[in-house]
Amino acid sequence: MKDNLLEINNLNVDFKTFDGTFSAVRNVSLTLGNNDSIGIIGESGCGKSTMAFATMKYLAKNAKSSGSILFKDKDLLSMSEREMEQYRGNRIAMVFQNPYSSLNPSLTIGYQLDEVSIFHKKLDRTEARKASIEALQMMNISEPQRVVRRYPHQISGGIQQRICIAMAILCSPDLMILDEPTTALDVTTEAVILDSLKELREKLNMSLIYISHDMGVINKVADRIVVMYNGEIVEHGPKEQLFDHPSHPYTRALINCMPRGGVVKEETMLNTINGYVKRRGNQDVGCPFADRCEKRNATCENTYGMRVVGQSHMAACDRAYATDITDTKHLLKEKPVVEQQVFEDRPLLEIDNLHKIYGSRRKVYAVNGIAVSVAKSSVLGVVGESGCGKSTAAHMVAGLYKPSKGSILFDGSDISIAWNKRSPDMLKRIQLIFQNPGNSLNPSHTIEQIIGRPMKRLMHIHSAEERRKKILEMLKKVDLGSDYIKKKPRQLSGGEQQRVAIARALSISPDLVVCDEPTSALDVSVQASVLNLLNDLQQETNSTYLFISHDLNVINYISDYIMVMYAGKICEYGKRDEIMAPPFHPYTEALLSSIPETDPKKQKKPIRLGGQLPDPGKKPKGCPFAGRCHRQVGDICYKEFPPMVRLSGSHYIYCHHNFSEK
Amino acid sequence: MSQLWYQLKKSPLAIIGIAILALWLFAAIFGPSLIPFTYTEIDSQQIMVNPGVKGHLLGTDNMGRDIFARIVYGSRSIFTVALLTSMLSTLMGVILGFIAGYFGGKIDTVFLRAMDIMMAIPPLVLSMVVLGILGDSNIISLTLIVSIAFVPATARVSRGVLLTEKNKEYVSAARIRGESNLYIMFVEILPNTTGPIIVEATARFAYSIMTVASLGFLGVGLQPPTPDWGMMVIENKPIISQAPWAVLFPALAIASLVIAISIISDFVGKVLVNER
Repeated sequence: MKDNLLEINNLNVDFKTFDGTFSAVRNVSLTLGNNDSIGIIGESGCGKSTMAFATMKYLAKNAKSSGSILFKDKDLLSMSEREMEQYRGNRIAMVFQNPYSSLNPSLTIGYQLDEVSIFHKKLDRTEARKASIEALQMMNISEPQRVVRRYPHQISGGIQQRICIAMAILCSPDLMILDEPTTALDVTTEAVILDSLKELREKLNMSLIYISHDMGVINKVADRIVVMYNGEIVEHGPKEQLFDHPSHPYTRALINCMPRGGVVKEETMLNTINGYVKRRGNQDVGCPFADRCEKRNATCENTYGMRVVGQSHMAACDRAYATDITDTKHLLKEKPVVEQQVFEDRPLLEIDNLHKIYGSRRKVYAVNGIAVSVAKSSVLGVVGESGCGKSTAAHMVAGLYKPSKGSILFDGSDISIAWNKRSPDMLKRIQLIFQNPGNSLNPSHTIEQIIGRPMKRLMHIHSAEERRKKILEMLKKVDLGSDYIKKKPRQLSGGEQQRVAIARALSISPDLVVCDEPTSALDVSVQASVLNLLNDLQQETNSTYLFISHDLNVINYISDYIMVMYAGKICEYGKRDEIMAPPFHPYTEALLSSIPETDPKKQKKPIRLGGQLPDPGKKPKGCPFAGRCHRQVGDICYKEFPPMVRLSGSHYIYCHHNFSEK
Repeated sequence: MSQLWYQLKKSPLAIIGIAILALWLFAAIFGPSLIPFTYTEIDSQQIMVNPGVKGHLLGTDNMGRDIFARIVYGSRSIFTVALLTSMLSTLMGVILGFIAGYFGGKIDTVFLRAMDIMMAIPPLVLSMVVLGILGDSNIISLTLIVSIAFVPATARVSRGVLLTEKNKEYVSAARIRGESNLYIMFVEILPNTTGPIIVEATARFAYSIMTVASLGFLGVGLQPPTPDWGMMVIENKPIISQAPWAVLFPALAIASLVIAISIISDFVGKVLVNER
């Protein structure tokens, strides 16, 4: 096997910390041929990034690595820093998760790009600039001449990431490592980047290592897939085989816990993986996944080894090819059917002509006149890309900001006022669940204080005994034990923190719960359990949810009604099934097409959105989506805001396009 | 706690700092009952003797007073003043800085300008002028004036940490359940800002020793016969050629204590950052 570009043999990375030594990567062996691409998948904390960083020799001082990493038959691990310089950025390039922090904010894009060629290829300034502009063109960045003169903060996140990739290809490296490059970006931008990556591979003949936690993304870019769990490879193989016959229980669990297209709450409950990734010492033996595996038996604790399960397809499970492999399509848990709720005539929440303009001198038009009503005991999902004003709208409902214009009627009374003017009763009836649980729970309070405080404050339960009883009840509802009561948020994992946040919001039985991207900071497996929980609690308490998310799959799963927002305006509103089926608003169509498919056989061509979000600093005119729309009818799109087109009693679209034609 | 040990093992400098401070604390608490002289006792037979002569461990000054005894007694007053000053200035700074930062707007502007004005006058000059006008200074007036002189620094630090915490979502969560401003400031935010505030308080401890010593040196500090390290330096300056120890040892005392506390302050900062 001399033609391998990269060969990792028995790589171990241990970190010496003050709690003792723990191993982040254990006994990982991997080969990568020329013009090959592998995707590495796993939850956070599974050593994916550490492995990538080890390849680049970017490890912290307290890390100890052993084994060998052969790149073109030379061992990178035994190289000095000096020798590594020849490889880093030159033969091996890396793209990081957050483009904003990997570009220097005080240097122009051009300067940063040129530096790479000047350093590695010894070009002079003009040649380097030429090379930089070519690289930008290869990444389909429009007007590269102008982009090179800008600073990173003047450019949107998606283009920043494309610049990072352009920087990586400047020396036409043999290997490019991408560490979750699209995780922080919107789906439409993600689709564009994944597309151009594919083109790049064909053009430059390079190999890719793509790290992600998203099966759909991996499916799009990788030929082979490596599944990592807790520092070890649990399964690897060609992607078609791996998706068709996932053999390791972890792989199966991972695939099944994603709410995929078509999965809705009435029919199925999402699969979850119990527990969380435990830190391992370097002495532990046995299957790393044993403690969370539903199919474990006595041998799992001490035996562990790779087995061949198919053509170059290996899995590290004893029972990988036993009879318990079932068709993945039926693995989602059947959910007991609940009777269809009866919606009352009068909506609980009515929003009319809601506006929010930030700033006084330099205005930012965040929400530009939305009108929607939410029926009692229903779930309204609000979906849209970042910057479309969905969170602002949610925060206005919750009372964090006062609307600039318009009204919010809650159960008949006007609540278009900020929190300090609302009555305690109103505050009690509307609760907000934040995006980032680590931030929304006070780190220095115990869980008991956190959940108990709203009870004392808004429900006037002054007896500590009574409160504690209710807290324990609530903790049980969110599947947390009574021992959590004395813990602090820092001692909890992200998923547990979000459960506490949910417990806090629901402990005072609110009528309306505003969920502001409650799962987007969580791993897919945790997301599944949080969604299940929210869903169960909603049915149990019959409360109303306003659910904000950028993920259409999640929205599709949990909502009864969906509202699609773009640049502070509503594009489309309707019942879930009406939104998810044609006719679409062009923006909804683009969003749907951008979601990466997890089935390798079903590949779809995403609608590429060119252009950029409309400038939020300008007063909007015409259809906000006009500049990027693939179905625009003509000048009218830029000049007039489209009229509401009613497609059915509950479904309407704002678009000039004539939908009756189709 | 185990985190503390771990960090301590990694920084030998901090161990030295803590040892020096412990030594001084021991001297301040038990010293006076262990040494044979008091700070006013005049030994007319032994004027300006070398260190080590007749039980005078660090020699005597031009009135025959024991330098060692005076330094040990002096440590009591300096610890009292410095400790009270760092606590008082931190307390006042936290209250002012929190109110300004939390409410923002005009209150904040007025606060910032007022602090700018105060900061334009160095703490030493400010204390000197006020103490000079007041005449006789005692521990209480000294503590008060030095604390006030330090408030701009502590208030700015408190305001800064409050501003970073204020935008976190747990504050929003508290707001929309209708908590009062005082509750949010002192129950929600304060516990999360203890790190930087404690570091600032320990730094103020070192600074106030310096300031008190300087004031003593300038003659507006604690008045005789209370022994004050700064005052000892200036008192014995005329005899520096005959009895250099009389100046050297009080100066060393000041330096060692200030350096020790600075080292500890750095160390505390490091531990608290790692705890987060």
